Amino acid sequence: MPALRLFRARRLGRLPPAAAALVYGLLAFWTLIVLFPLYWLVITSFKLPIDVAYPPKYLPFLDFQPSLHAWRYIFVDLGNDTLRPYANSLIVATSSTVLAVLTGSMAAYALTRIEYRPRIVAVATFVVLLIGASGSVMFFRLDWRVAGLAALALFFLVSRALGSRWRAHLGNGDILFWMISQRILPPVVAALPIYVMFQQLGLLDTRFALIVTYMTVNLPIVVWLMYDFFAALPKDLEESAALDGASRFRIFRQIVLPLAKPGLIATSLLVLILAWNEYLLALFLSTARAQTMPILVAAQNGTRGPQWWYMSALIVIMIAPVVALTVAAQKYIAKGLLLGAVKG
Amino acid sequence: MAPATVELERISKAFGSHTVLHELSLSVAPGEFLVLLGPSGCGKTTALRMTAGLESVTSGRILIAGRDVTEVPPKNRDLAMVFQSYALYPHMTVAENIAYPLVIRKQPRAEIERQVRETAAQVQLDGLLGRYPRQLSGGQRQRVALARAIVRRPAAFLMDEPLSNLDAKLRGHMRAELKHMQHELGIATIYVTHDQIEAMTLGHRVAVLNKGRTQQIGSPQRIYDDPANIFVAGFVGSPSMNFLAGALESGRFRAPDASLPTALTSSHERVELGFRPEDCRIVPAGEPDCLAGNIYSTELIGDHVLVTCRIAGQPVVVKAEKSFARGIGDPIAIRIPAERIYLFERDSGERLRP
Repeated sequence: MPALRLFRARRLGRLPPAAAALVYGLLAFWTLIVLFPLYWLVITSFKLPIDVAYPPKYLPFLDFQPSLHAWRYIFVDLGNDTLRPYANSLIVATSSTVLAVLTGSMAAYALTRIEYRPRIVAVATFVVLLIGASGSVMFFRLDWRVAGLAALALFFLVSRALGSRWRAHLGNGDILFWMISQRILPPVVAALPIYVMFQQLGLLDTRFALIVTYMTVNLPIVVWLMYDFFAALPKDLEESAALDGASRFRIFRQIVLPLAKPGLIATSLLVLILAWNEYLLALFLSTARAQTMPILVAAQNGTRGPQWWYMSALIVIMIAPVVALTVAAQKYIAKGLLLGAVKG
Repeated sequence: MAPATVELERISKAFGSHTVLHELSLSVAPGEFLVLLGPSGCGKTTALRMTAGLESVTSGRILIAGRDVTEVPPKNRDLAMVFQSYALYPHMTVAENIAYPLVIRKQPRAEIERQVRETAAQVQLDGLLGRYPRQLSGGQRQRVALARAIVRRPAAFLMDEPLSNLDAKLRGHMRAELKHMQHELGIATIYVTHDQIEAMTLGHRVAVLNKGRTQQIGSPQRIYDDPANIFVAGFVGSPSMNFLAGALESGRFRAPDASLPTALTSSHERVELGFRPEDCRIVPAGEPDCLAGNIYSTELIGDHVLVTCRIAGQPVVVKAEKSFARGIGDPIAIRIPAERIYLFERDSGERLRP
């Protein structure tokens, strides 16, 4: 018996002409709605202030004479003030993405293939000692090195002593949930502590601080997405490779990663876009030298009121690399997003 | 490495309190083809995976070429395994799949190429080396999996139902090829299957497992002709052995509609009488020392007819001449030579021997 389907995909070419016209019409209409803001953005970057509003003009060469003044301003007059944040964004987004995907996919793979059994006693001891150590540093002015070492020693003693008595433990699912739960908190809650931490370390307004922060923030997303990809891979292949003589790391590199490529690319792109567009943490962590594009664009608005022409030019160069990457990786994204839905 | 002996010494596997394999002991000599046979869930695949190192061993020891490998990871056991799913690497070509064990062992490039080409020719894969697994048929994939296993001459082969994904015709063909190849290579092989025909045709020896316990280990002939218990007797053979419940009185088997002499002389309250379909004959109704019943159905198989009879409500299958021409419902009797009768104790399933 054929499966009952409410919706069946059909080839557009097979539709009767009237229906095809309707479908194409709807699609064209939706495309227009999606693309119009981009069109507006691009033409605005070539407009003189007078052409932007009262009334807005839409047709270059017919309605208004395109001008390069905005582009000249952001690249020539501002010069390094545009290029430095652009370079910052490129460096911060790509390095944090590479690091997050690299470490995150290894963690996700380990969670799918190795059974972890962290003792509840050890976890509880760790949390209690962490609070105790931080408290004694804060309230009793204890040297942090002393507090840290003492807590570490106590941790090993207590968890060993109690661990043999209380054997209750957590599993991989708990670890995975704990990782994802890091994203439940609104980032603004953590922004201030992160700021203080980097201030104490003397790393404010450095690309390093941004890279580390973005990597940490995006790590749970990578683990969560890649977990499903790895879990869907047949175990036979890895067992076969093990019998062929491959080490665990070689199996990961030569068998698992190539097979998870669509997932890796889709995940990388998602994480890259998140890092590329990130505003809040960048606002806290960077002031001038490490400033990124989202801050620069927002500042354009903040300091001089809405200067649509300059902002448009900035936004065009800001979205260009992401659009290019998305187009280039399109076939993998479609595959990657589908894999979770229809396994097999 | 030279062909080696694989020895399992009382290996057991337990998941929590549930034991799936009880103290299996086996020794497979170089060149020997040993089949682990049993129904699904009998522990045969677990035993194979323990040998491979893919499952931990709860108790017992595994030795390969005399070396204790019980705690050795799979990659250092020098075994090659063929999986039921073939486990071909989908992102590698046929050549790359076959070469993979050699690439890991860092053999020189020219040597790898030569061996891949040779092995591919051996399993008739020449001309397909540049293809990807998804572009191959089931039989071809099976050959690639075999080629990958034999390319590096391992200490032993492990095979987990390698033929079960093929259609019946191809399976028969590959069975013959597999047997020939194993004979040529002279490498110890442990082969897992639930198909008793595969076990009988391929194995030098067969180990029958049920519910994690070893039932019998012996040559296919021995397993067939001299089953140790009622499970082995019923599992091996197609169509399978007929059984009738009854009692033994001084060596005479008695049941409703049946009274016949056996090779035994003892008495037992509860026994099962077993006999193979090809060991008995249909004779006219009313003959003495026979089972009495009537015909339930007949099936022409080709060179013989399978006749299903009803004896005291129980179905009994008899293999008859292809000229057999009696109709459904006809009363008949079945004669079984005393020396072809197997008797089992009904409660333990153990064989009763003269």
